[in-house]
Amino acid sequence: MDNILTVEHVSKTFTNHQALDDVSLQVPRGKVYGLLGPNGAGKTTLIRIINHITAPDSGRVIFEGHQLTAADVAHIGYLPEERGLYKKMKVGEQAIFFARLKGLSRREATERLHQWFDRLEISSWWDKKVEELSKGMAQKVQFIVTVLHQPSLLIFDEPFSGFDPINANLLKDEILRLRDQGATVIFSTHNMASVEELCDHITLINKSHNILSGSVDQLRHQFGDNTFELSYLGATDALAAALQPLTSSLVVQNSEGQTQSVRFAIASGVATRDVLAAANAAVDIRSFVPQLPSMNDIFIRTVNASNQQTSTPPAL
Amino acid sequence: MNSALKIIVAREYLERVKRKSFIISTILMPLFMVAMMALPTVLMVMSGPEECRIGVIDDSGKIAQTLQGGDEISFTTITDQSFDQAKESSEFDAFLVIGPDVVANPNASITFYTQGAPSIQTEQFVSSQIENTIETIRINNSGVENLRDIMKSVKVDVEMKTFRLDKEEETETSSMLSYGMGFMATFILYMFIMLYGNMVMNSIIEEKNNRVLELVVTSVNPTWLMMGKIIGVGLVAVTQMLVWAVIIMIGSGWVLPMLTSMAAGADGSMMAAMSQLTDLTFMGQYLLYLILFLIGGYFFYASIYAAIGSAVDNLQDASQLQTVAILPIILAFVISMTVVNDPNSSLAMWTSFIPFTSPMVMMARMPFGIDGWQMAVSLVLLYAGFVGMVWVAAKVYRVGIFMYGKKPTFSDLIRWIRYK
Repeated sequence: MDNILTVEHVSKTFTNHQALDDVSLQVPRGKVYGLLGPNGAGKTTLIRIINHITAPDSGRVIFEGHQLTAADVAHIGYLPEERGLYKKMKVGEQAIFFARLKGLSRREATERLHQWFDRLEISSWWDKKVEELSKGMAQKVQFIVTVLHQPSLLIFDEPFSGFDPINANLLKDEILRLRDQGATVIFSTHNMASVEELCDHITLINKSHNILSGSVDQLRHQFGDNTFELSYLGATDALAAALQPLTSSLVVQNSEGQTQSVRFAIASGVATRDVLAAANAAVDIRSFVPQLPSMNDIFIRTVNASNQQTSTPPAL
Repeated sequence: MNSALKIIVAREYLERVKRKSFIISTILMPLFMVAMMALPTVLMVMSGPEECRIGVIDDSGKIAQTLQGGDEISFTTITDQSFDQAKESSEFDAFLVIGPDVVANPNASITFYTQGAPSIQTEQFVSSQIENTIETIRINNSGVENLRDIMKSVKVDVEMKTFRLDKEEETETSSMLSYGMGFMATFILYMFIMLYGNMVMNSIIEEKNNRVLELVVTSVNPTWLMMGKIIGVGLVAVTQMLVWAVIIMIGSGWVLPMLTSMAAGADGSMMAAMSQLTDLTFMGQYLLYLILFLIGGYFFYASIYAAIGSAVDNLQDASQLQTVAILPIILAFVISMTVVNDPNSSLAMWTSFIPFTSPMVMMARMPFGIDGWQMAVSLVLLYAGFVGMVWVAAKVYRVGIFMYGKKPTFSDLIRWIRYK
């Protein structure tokens, strides 16, 4: 696969605290990549290393096939979690300032900014000072500043915090639009619903380790435990009896009306079609749907498992 | 120059110069100083002689008839009543009582009684008239012809010219002037470093508080950012100083003549000293060195301030670490004030080599004459110190700007320097 960014065995230690321990990951080009993890897991440190703000103690970062250099940051757009703009500066001037730092000429920056301001319908803010804007308004400005220089790699740290649902949606559409135009997006968040909606791949970092990596679809199937939901018309007792030898943890769902449903996990070594055949003989099947765990479930399960592992004292 | 650095400098400069508070303080500060200079004059004019009717009781019979009233002051000789009686009436604001023996022993025989405290002007007006009268009487009594002219001709006013022997060309100097120049230059350095070093620190703390820093350092190397701030604020300083200089010059052009006309017989030696300021070669040289030390000293201390600013979250936390910068500045100022008494002592020499103190101490010593090699060594060490300090500050800065919440100690800063 074509990876725009590869992180190889990166470790970083601050005084008395290991922020990252041998973390590796590959970010495929043109995808939205989720960087997940509990607070303090080391995500921000990793992002800073990718942004060439801090250097790793060991390991390396490969960007576009070569080791990351200071010049590469011109191709990266970064929206930090802690948003900040110069409060006393006017919006337009400030955006031009940041664009020029990224290497755009003043003319070019002004042109592109006007396009963006028109698109997001904020042209009237051009001459306002940032301190006059609401938090959400300032976020929009900051988003534009992040993407203005058309970076090939975009890094958003908690991009939706502070946005109302309408603006969050707008932002989501913009992120997907940028991806469709060819940009790669790294996206760090606690909001698992947005991960399911946006991310193609994820990496889960906990306690400075990479504990889970993969594509969202694969992971959800992998964590699915072969759980299905079956809805049907007919006698629940007969169905339960028929499925008993083939499944485990069968639960009857609350149902309204005639259609009823049960949820169960198919026992290991049992083929799905045998389960369906047994059920078909007992009741009138209406639907049979695999139950994929939410990213939220996967997150909590994986993090808890990894915490237990590390907190269990070694056996004697 | 690095283009990112240019952009940072431009922003830092323009944002500051355009601020209302900057414009106001730039204009008000010199007006304030000019006002301070003008204040004594204004006060003198304001508190001019107020209306005062003086009753004169002259037991000598020699003075009263010579007293001449002015616009506000009038003299009335009282003959028909005693002092005690006159006191009861409200006819007079003050009384001048002159004893019979006034010509021989004026100090013991003249008393001035007033309602409330008399103004200095009134008192002087009265006493100078009496002095003149007594002087005239004494001259006439002496029997010497043309005594007044003789007295004028013997009066001397000594103005010494001091020459320095150690210079090839004997330059006329005055140690008072040297002292004054040294003090001015030291004070300018002190103000400049304190004021604008603090500005650099505040600017960094503000950026850190705004969290805008993280965004900026993704585009610019933190060291360039720090340098940009120091240079930007330095340019602000130069602008402000220039505006102040111009306003003060214009202001004092208006105030000084007023002052000199009031204090008519201005001190002759002062005038002579002022004339030496026109020694252009020396002044030019001095100014050049002042600028060199100003730049070096500013960069040296501004990088210390930058490191401190990057390490803390707010001004309160900064105050403790700030002693690292303030202590040597004050020390340098104090040493400068003492070295002028002995500009070639070993304390003076060593402190003018150490970058922490050298700018101020050197400027205080220079008007007294300094060997060229000392000047050169001091400047080289200062600029080397500045490069070293920028390097150290950049290391601290790079780590410090991402440290929030915890108030760092001095040993934390040392450890940060060693981070990769």
